[in-house]
Amino acid sequence: MRTLIQSASRAVVGALALGALPLQAQLGSPNPAPGPQQTVAIRNARIVPVVGAELASGTIVFSAGKITAIGANVSVPAGAQVIDGTGLSVYPGMMDAGTSMGLAEIPQGANATMDASEVGSFNPNSIAYYGITPHSAHIGVTRVVGITHVLSSPSGGIVSGQASLVNLAGWTPAAMSVQQKAGLVITLPRAGGGGFGFGGGFGGFGGGANNADATRQREKQLDSLKALIADARAYAQALDASAKDKSIPRPVADVKLDAMLPYVRGQLPVLFQADRAVDIKASVDFASEQGLTAIIVGGREAPEQAALLKAKNVPVLYGTLRNLPSREDDAYDINYSAPAKLAAAGVRFAITAGDGGAEVRDLPHIAGMAAAFGLSKEDALKSVTLWPAQITGIGDRFGSLEVGKVANLVVVDGDLLEARTNTKYLFIDGRAVSLENRHTTLYNTHKDRR
Amino acid sequence: MHLLLRWGGRLAAIAALTAPPLAAQRVTPATYAITNARIVPVAGPAIEKGTIVIRDGLIAAVGAAVTVPADARTIDGSGHTVYPGLIDGYSTLGLRAAAAPAGGGGFGGFGAPAPTRPAGAPNSNAPIGLQPEIRAIDQVIDNTDFATAHAAGFAAALTAPQGRIYEGQSALITLKTDDFGAVAVRPTVALQIGFQGLGGGTYPGSLMGVFAALRQSLLDAQHYRDQQAAYAKAPRTMARPAYDPSLDALQPVIAGTMPVIFRVSTQREIERALDLAKEFKLKAMIGGGSEAFRVADRLKTEGVPVLLSMSFPRRTAAPAADAEPEPLRLLRERVQAPKTPGELQKAGVRIALQAGGNYTDFLANLRRAVAGGLSADDAVRAATLTTAELFGVADRLGSIEVGKIANLTVVRGADLLAADARVTAVWVDGRPNTVAPPTAIAGARGPGARPGLEGAWQMQVELDGVERVVALALREEDGRLRGAITGDLGAADVSDVLVEANGDIAFVAVVTTTEGTEEAWFRGTLTRGVFAGRVEIVGHATGKFAGLRQNTGSTTDRTRERQEER
Amino acid sequence: MPRSMLSARRALMLLAGLAVTANAQAPRKITPMLIKNGTVITVTKGTLANTDVLLENGKITKIGANLTAPPGAEVYDATGKYVMPGIIDPHSHSMSDATNEGSLSVTSMVRIMDVLNPTAVNGYRSLAGGVTMINILHGSANTIGGQSATLKLKVGRTIGEMLPAGAPPGIKFALGENVTRKSSTQIPGGPPRRYPATRMGQEEIIRDAFTRARSYKAEWDAYRAKAAMKPVKAALVAPRRDLELEPLVEILEGKRFVHAHSYRSDEIVMLLELAKEFGFTVRTLQHALDAYKVAPEIKASGASVSAFADSWSYKIEAYDAIPYNVAINVRNGVRSTINSDSDERIRRLNIDAAKLIKYGGLTETEAFETITINGAWQLGMEQRTGSIEVGKDADIGIWNAHPFSVYARVDRTIVDGETFFDRAKDEAERAARAAERAELEKAEPNTAPSPRGGGGPPGARPTPPTGGAR
Repeated sequence: MRTLIQSASRAVVGALALGALPLQAQLGSPNPAPGPQQTVAIRNARIVPVVGAELASGTIVFSAGKITAIGANVSVPAGAQVIDGTGLSVYPGMMDAGTSMGLAEIPQGANATMDASEVGSFNPNSIAYYGITPHSAHIGVTRVVGITHVLSSPSGGIVSGQASLVNLAGWTPAAMSVQQKAGLVITLPRAGGGGFGFGGGFGGFGGGANNADATRQREKQLDSLKALIADARAYAQALDASAKDKSIPRPVADVKLDAMLPYVRGQLPVLFQADRAVDIKASVDFASEQGLTAIIVGGREAPEQAALLKAKNVPVLYGTLRNLPSREDDAYDINYSAPAKLAAAGVRFAITAGDGGAEVRDLPHIAGMAAAFGLSKEDALKSVTLWPAQITGIGDRFGSLEVGKVANLVVVDGDLLEARTNTKYLFIDGRAVSLENRHTTLYNTHKDRR
Repeated sequence: MHLLLRWGGRLAAIAALTAPPLAAQRVTPATYAITNARIVPVAGPAIEKGTIVIRDGLIAAVGAAVTVPADARTIDGSGHTVYPGLIDGYSTLGLRAAAAPAGGGGFGGFGAPAPTRPAGAPNSNAPIGLQPEIRAIDQVIDNTDFATAHAAGFAAALTAPQGRIYEGQSALITLKTDDFGAVAVRPTVALQIGFQGLGGGTYPGSLMGVFAALRQSLLDAQHYRDQQAAYAKAPRTMARPAYDPSLDALQPVIAGTMPVIFRVSTQREIERALDLAKEFKLKAMIGGGSEAFRVADRLKTEGVPVLLSMSFPRRTAAPAADAEPEPLRLLRERVQAPKTPGELQKAGVRIALQAGGNYTDFLANLRRAVAGGLSADDAVRAATLTTAELFGVADRLGSIEVGKIANLTVVRGADLLAADARVTAVWVDGRPNTVAPPTAIAGARGPGARPGLEGAWQMQVELDGVERVVALALREEDGRLRGAITGDLGAADVSDVLVEANGDIAFVAVVTTTEGTEEAWFRGTLTRGVFAGRVEIVGHATGKFAGLRQNTGSTTDRTRERQEER
Repeated sequence: MPRSMLSARRALMLLAGLAVTANAQAPRKITPMLIKNGTVITVTKGTLANTDVLLENGKITKIGANLTAPPGAEVYDATGKYVMPGIIDPHSHSMSDATNEGSLSVTSMVRIMDVLNPTAVNGYRSLAGGVTMINILHGSANTIGGQSATLKLKVGRTIGEMLPAGAPPGIKFALGENVTRKSSTQIPGGPPRRYPATRMGQEEIIRDAFTRARSYKAEWDAYRAKAAMKPVKAALVAPRRDLELEPLVEILEGKRFVHAHSYRSDEIVMLLELAKEFGFTVRTLQHALDAYKVAPEIKASGASVSAFADSWSYKIEAYDAIPYNVAINVRNGVRSTINSDSDERIRRLNIDAAKLIKYGGLTETEAFETITINGAWQLGMEQRTGSIEVGKDADIGIWNAHPFSVYARVDRTIVDGETFFDRAKDEAERAARAAERAELEKAEPNTAPSPRGGGGPPGARPTPPTGGAR
């Protein structure tokens, strides 16, 4: 059974290796398509479910994309493909909630490959889903380390747009999609330090400004944002009213306000990009005042606002672990130790690579580094599996190995977070995913040249 | 006459501001006697009550029992102390500031001492900024604004052009306001060298290039010397070597007869200067030298004096409530500054003092230096006789001795260093200049009060489509702006901030992005309080930045400000 | 090489040496250190369990079991810890006040050595990542860049003490996108586009520079021949010394290492062929992300490779970069290292090296070599450092777990036998620094003057006169 999967993916790989070579020069490269959803049982493997106790040796079964059984003595259903997991470990697929996966390919010198930032300051109706290319080479390279799903966010402006949750497999955005709309990305005009800001961009800033002008500019931008939220609330109210009472006319449909609905209704979170303590505080306060459900993204100085974040139950997608300390007097490990500090303070968080795409695959090492600097290894693992899923509202379906959850899982030959660990099998949405990608293709093409 | 010294002078000073020069200052005869004054000659012990006779610009007599000549205009110096006129060990006095470039107004708001960029030397083969033949004495054109320097007690100064690398040759001048033609005590004293790249895409643009260019030009000067010598010896055996005004001007420098003043402050800059001086056997002096205390041993061993800046760094405004904390380095530096003069003196380093362009704080800082460990006698000597010795004019200036130039600094009370002492008159070339109290002197502001780039800025920097927040802290040091950035691009020093010929303000900082550690060139203009422009990093698309000064004071103040502006 | 020129250069080197010794204080007395019972990763002689390492006078003097500590030695219990050679980063721009002299296409006359900044905070942060030696390179703004500096991270010491005596000199070359400047925007009114704007122009720049260097050498040779004739012609004057061409002559003579920033395989091959034509060997191909495509050619040329472990896709010429690059080169017999080029990445080169085991199957020792002994070789320092062997410099990192584990952290970094990073001490000093800050913030120069201009203690500023005039 094991050989079946291997030969299946080899066949796919072989086809690609032969047929896709002329395409290599293109930006982006075809990532092998995932196989069909099948019933698979992985036996005799160490199973790290993240929720609940680790099994030194057990069996996990999934079918039709969902985990159907986990245990030391689980029977293998008839017709299941069986993988012998002896010496291997099964983990839930990791998640990075801080990416722009599929939206941004080559930042320097190839601007045409950059699709993360729209023009203008208020773009709630820009949805990452519509810009993600399933053929980004980043996707194939990222998933083979066991990162199976990501939140991909637009950037730029004040309201950048909506982030989408996607599995890292599938030949169309629809096939990849976990949740098309998963969060509204907002960067408040920068707070503090003179109280000015260009509002996540330089929009509206003219050469004739001075300090006071800039202060006004920031307030104007904040006012515009508040007005957008207020308008969206009024729109929601009118929609609700007309739904209840047919005599009240439906408000004229508005794309931007429609886009805002789940956020002003508190159904979906708002992702506030903020690294400095003042910006984090401003974001939390703004969300409080506006009745929004906030998540802080970036969060470099979040430990300085730990009390506030805990009190307001605002989670952090911590994405700056490997940043250099921002001040010369900072302790050398100030960012390495930030997750440990957040954990100690009881702040909910997840770790992200803080990268758009190409380096997202370092996520496990980054989480491991947090453990080197005070976070428990268990929490380090949760910070890239269960916690990002919970924070982004998909914790009931993703982030752990539990019966009923989506079969995003990875089979490795060691500790999932270690750099030396090799991925042996990868399943996304219950489908076998080839471990081939742009890198292995180029490798295989050149490695034997002498 | 006492009255004249005390407050009649103020009227004269005010009059001088409106209609200089004062006709009264040109009358003859030029014989004066200051009587009943305490006299500190520096060259000898203090005279508790004595007389100084001044004739034709020179000191004719000094002592406790000097007879006042019959033709002398007598001034009662009771209650006053007379010192040799103080000498500013490094300044730009008398050099008119370059005019602001047309349009943009980038320069206009720039508050560091106005860059007195010399025009290019005629017939030079070297680019502007690398022309050692530039001479301050050819450019001393403005002798009307010495009031703040007088108020700090200065009667003479080394005045030096400011530039980039070869800044030019300095002159020792007296701070005369009447007869401009006679200011020079020594028309050429030293060659000033700074370590600022030329900018504008011209080699050398970087600090590295500065050293390579200096080294090459000094080698060229040696080669030029040898060629000229060979030609002089046997003109019919070789082609005539071309005359080069720059290499010609360097001859006394490489011969070690003309000192070189390196305008440097930090330890590593001082060490770089000393290394270069050693390599080419230059007669070096350090101008500025705020971190000279870290290099004291070497300065002593190599016999390199320091023209120490007395413009001590200090906090000038309360930080905003949410401002970035100041780096420890800066906090330490501010506390260290007043201790430095004493430490250098004790370590056996020769020091002469300069105002560092900050005349308002000079005397107060001199007192701080004494509180910080410099002896009172050493303090006075370092502002008078030592300075004269270093500049080769001790036979004419620097002490109250018969035959020396009658430059005198008169203070009320018994001690220049007393907290309540005030300079009441400064005699220059045997003529009195009365001094108004500091509050009456226009433009007498500390460097921190100048509008400009100095201070804390919050900048937004957009690179590769990613926006970052960076705090930029700039401070003035020895006429240059430098500082540090902190924030999303890491923490790094900012090298010298340059004002380009077109008014652009440019600086370099080493930044770290996810792609690596790279050098970023910031170039922008300051317009109505906004410092905005472009960022260039090799291999990256051009980025942009915009910065605003971090407000000081409380948030409520800012709110009020905003309300008032509405 | 003309003798006069040689002697001139020798004089220069002597002078430089003098400057260095002048900076250094009297030879430091270094406390011996005995590292007990650690797992010692020697890199060149295997990994030794439960082994002691003795450091004396800046050198490794003994390796073995149950060594005795000399009197006065610090004894460090490394039970459960890992002792490895200090990491060497062959590509850094740290601790320097300038990186690029980008105004010209050939700036071989500029020297990183002139602009080192011993106080740069990132040096300490690199130490905290187990790094002990770095190659500080000029930037990649121009085809022939400036002279590099090899530096030991003896943070807190003078530059003179950080520059290891006898380190061979190097120089930076750069090819590709950074030089052609296709990414940067032409500033209106700014300087015109600089030649070259193509890879063709880069070849021409290098060819022209070395052609001029050959002529320069010939000029000096001719001079020397004339000077040797008796009697000497009266008007014989030595040729002008040219600081741009002297380093290039050194390259031609094999005395200066070329570290060439390069990405694409075609530009790599171009440089290797040009070097062959002019008779020198490129010491390292820096970045060389496409080196895997021409590994046999690189092997044949004698050049080595210093690459990123797995950075890619940040620009066009990095889009074919693969994490298997180093492995392919190693398998082709090309001496290879990984480098940081970054004050951030330099702090985790151990993890970057660990990746090479996954990507291409390097052995653990081969992976260690890429961050230790191979880097030492690339800088001509392999006899001095890069492995734990008796007689070598005591450049060592002590890790709390296997250095290839993401859970590992450096406890100590030792350079020339002295501890320059000590995590325990670092943690202990944090409170003291906070206290110092609090104290300093209260000092008069650190407090703002009151709005009415008082500020500071009485007498700090001249007070206006009272009485007299009204």
